[in-house]
Amino acid sequence: MNPTSDTLTHLPPPEHADVLVIGTGFAGLGTAARLKRRGTHSFVVLERADDVGGTWRDNTYPGAACDVPSHLYSFSFRPNPDWSRLFARGPEIHRYLRDTARDEGLLPHIRFGAEVTQARWDTVTRHWVVTTARGVFTGRFLVTGTGHLSDHSLPDIPGLAGFDGPVFHSARWDHGTPLAGKRVAVVGSGASAVQIVPEVAEAAAEVVVFQRSAPYVVPRPDRAYTDTEKRVFRRDPEAVPAHRAEIFWYLEAGYAARRAAPHQLAEAKAAARAHLERQVADPELRAALTPDYELGCKRVLISDTYYPALTRDHVRLEPSALAQLEPGTAVAASGARHAVDVVVLCTGFETAEPPYAHLVHDGAGTSLAEHWAQGMEAYASTTVAGFPNLFLVNGPNTGLGHNSIVHVIEAQVTYVLGALDWSRAHGDHDVEVTPAAQRRYTGELARRGADTVWHSRGCESWYLDPRSGRLTLIWPDFADEFRHRNGTFDPPAYRAPTLTPAPVTP
Amino acid sequence: MATSTVREASVEGPHHVEGVVDVDGVSVRYVDSGPRDEAAEDGTARPPIVLVHGTGGSIERDYGFLLPLLASRQRVVALDFARPEPPSDRLTLGHLERQVVAACEAVLPGRSVTLVGYSLGAVVATAVAAHRPDLADRLVTVAGWARTDTQQKLRNGVWRRLRTENSAALPSYMAFCALGGPFLAQATLEQLAPLLQHGTLDEFLDLQMALNESIDITDLLGRVRATTLVIGCAHDQMVPVRHSKALFGAIPDARYTEISSGHAVVFERPAQLVQIIDRFNADPDRHPAGSLIPEARV
Repeated sequence: MNPTSDTLTHLPPPEHADVLVIGTGFAGLGTAARLKRRGTHSFVVLERADDVGGTWRDNTYPGAACDVPSHLYSFSFRPNPDWSRLFARGPEIHRYLRDTARDEGLLPHIRFGAEVTQARWDTVTRHWVVTTARGVFTGRFLVTGTGHLSDHSLPDIPGLAGFDGPVFHSARWDHGTPLAGKRVAVVGSGASAVQIVPEVAEAAAEVVVFQRSAPYVVPRPDRAYTDTEKRVFRRDPEAVPAHRAEIFWYLEAGYAARRAAPHQLAEAKAAARAHLERQVADPELRAALTPDYELGCKRVLISDTYYPALTRDHVRLEPSALAQLEPGTAVAASGARHAVDVVVLCTGFETAEPPYAHLVHDGAGTSLAEHWAQGMEAYASTTVAGFPNLFLVNGPNTGLGHNSIVHVIEAQVTYVLGALDWSRAHGDHDVEVTPAAQRRYTGELARRGADTVWHSRGCESWYLDPRSGRLTLIWPDFADEFRHRNGTFDPPAYRAPTLTPAPVTP
Repeated sequence: MATSTVREASVEGPHHVEGVVDVDGVSVRYVDSGPRDEAAEDGTARPPIVLVHGTGGSIERDYGFLLPLLASRQRVVALDFARPEPPSDRLTLGHLERQVVAACEAVLPGRSVTLVGYSLGAVVATAVAAHRPDLADRLVTVAGWARTDTQQKLRNGVWRRLRTENSAALPSYMAFCALGGPFLAQATLEQLAPLLQHGTLDEFLDLQMALNESIDITDLLGRVRATTLVIGCAHDQMVPVRHSKALFGAIPDARYTEISSGHAVVFERPAQLVQIIDRFNADPDRHPAGSLIPEARV
């Protein structure tokens, strides 16, 4: 950074707070709310957009909804008796997060339009210095809540520039492009695509879905809550926790299949197969929709409407990748040519190499991305050796294939608060994990993940780092084990606050 | 003391062996699974676990979920109870105890294990722990009991009547008793259908049901030296939690926790059960004797 005196005069003086938080999704707001609730008021939350909500603010595509039941996909400390359905739609989840920001008193702490351009640890002041689009912020602690699904991934498609119609990513939906009567290409068949395709099929004249690999799809047991149920949730304080627990432990059993326990894996595959056979009669389409890798390697999708949409007369499945675009035409890797007017990219997100890793630097100016040349890693999935007082919430090895990420996030926030207390109790000692502890933890996770479906033969997914083949995104265990293992700050893994004299042994 | 030998053993995979142990003239099938090394990848040492199933159960039926998941972190041995030979009118707790002891001595000679018993298996495991403190220094009882009480005798009587009459209502009655209210509230009859035809009705089951009617191990409980975890199931209609509380009160080194499930906890809340057992085996003294460990909120 070498700002000219001209830009300096336009920037406000650095704003200081004890804790700087990046992001206002579940991770950022969860951290902020817990800080506020325990009486820590010296914190600032940096948000690049002009609204809170993270993924649920950005993903406005038609049909956006969560694949985890809403009573579980919400903060345990902020139960919402009014969830309209088992699986709430995107706008309702976004509303929940906006209500959280307002009702928890977080809005005065949030700086909107503050996209982070650099964060570095100042070894002299022992502070984080964070440069943003709206000024510089300093803080003793930095908490990143930047998420796994915040920076969308745009594939390098030959001919993209020459294509004459609208092209946009699912996470940046262009609501100004009417799809009625149009020929639409949907590129991808992941979690976003299975929600988008049935909606687009309602409006468009023709739809073609480019599928590199067939997803496993299982039934979505969605339903609306009745007014009576909602009132019970309001009136009986034990009703929501009990309902959450039923959902949590039901989902938690799904880990057995991820561990490739033979019976449970076979059962899960049979359920997916039965769903396909129930919904798709055409043997050719069925074959094209049959996955050729182990269940759980990629995200298992939940939909009752995706397969039926693919059986409609004006919807086609192209069982190969999009190879290139020409004016008015999308060309598949199979050689097939499809005339299209609009291209919707459901191509996922930057996960293995998160962009924020290039922005965060240690005291020597080395970025997290450089530290992570072989893949992301963090002790307790939260702290990184060489980066004092930095906490990654919803960072490396926190993703779940079978349960709610909010459970993991809450455990991490508890861990962070414990670290802050420990630091304070030891004369504002810096929280710095030892390289040995981080190595031990990373090795432990590697061994834990070894026998799972994520490392099964032929499994290629966004859970694995493409450079090293390491499982860097997934927490390869039960969700509750995350809280057991990583939900309480553990000082022995950190540089000791004072030199304790050696015990005198007789 | 039972004399036991490993009669045959076949290697199914790198860490999965099935075999048969002869005891009292019958063959008891066992499975031996998981790492031979006690140090798990998280650095904690976990002694081998021996799983003892409940009435009418089997390794697969009661422990189809727990066994592979526990075996990812520690060695696990499980056995199928066998009907004693020659056939007699009576099954005693001693018969079943000898089968557990035989499996332990044959498969894990000289090792002290963590005995985990479910339902009738918890009764058997507790009795083994009392009689053979050298064999098990840790004990987990899941929905166990010490003395059959009136509520259980009533239920047992209805069961016997339906069984004698060869009633078509028996499977539904068993599911009705086994599954907890909160679980049933989320399920449909269609989803339960496979469950309602699951049970195998045979004479060995009848013998186990007869044994259930007259359990009384109250005199043994004070002799249990093992570090013990008692797990009660909050919505259990077959072995209501007061029975687990009684075990908790009588076993000297016991701590207690509950799971919000019916008696069929291995089916309703297997993921919760497996993590509670795994954590106890990694660190049994985390909660001191006498602790009431609250059920974790999620």
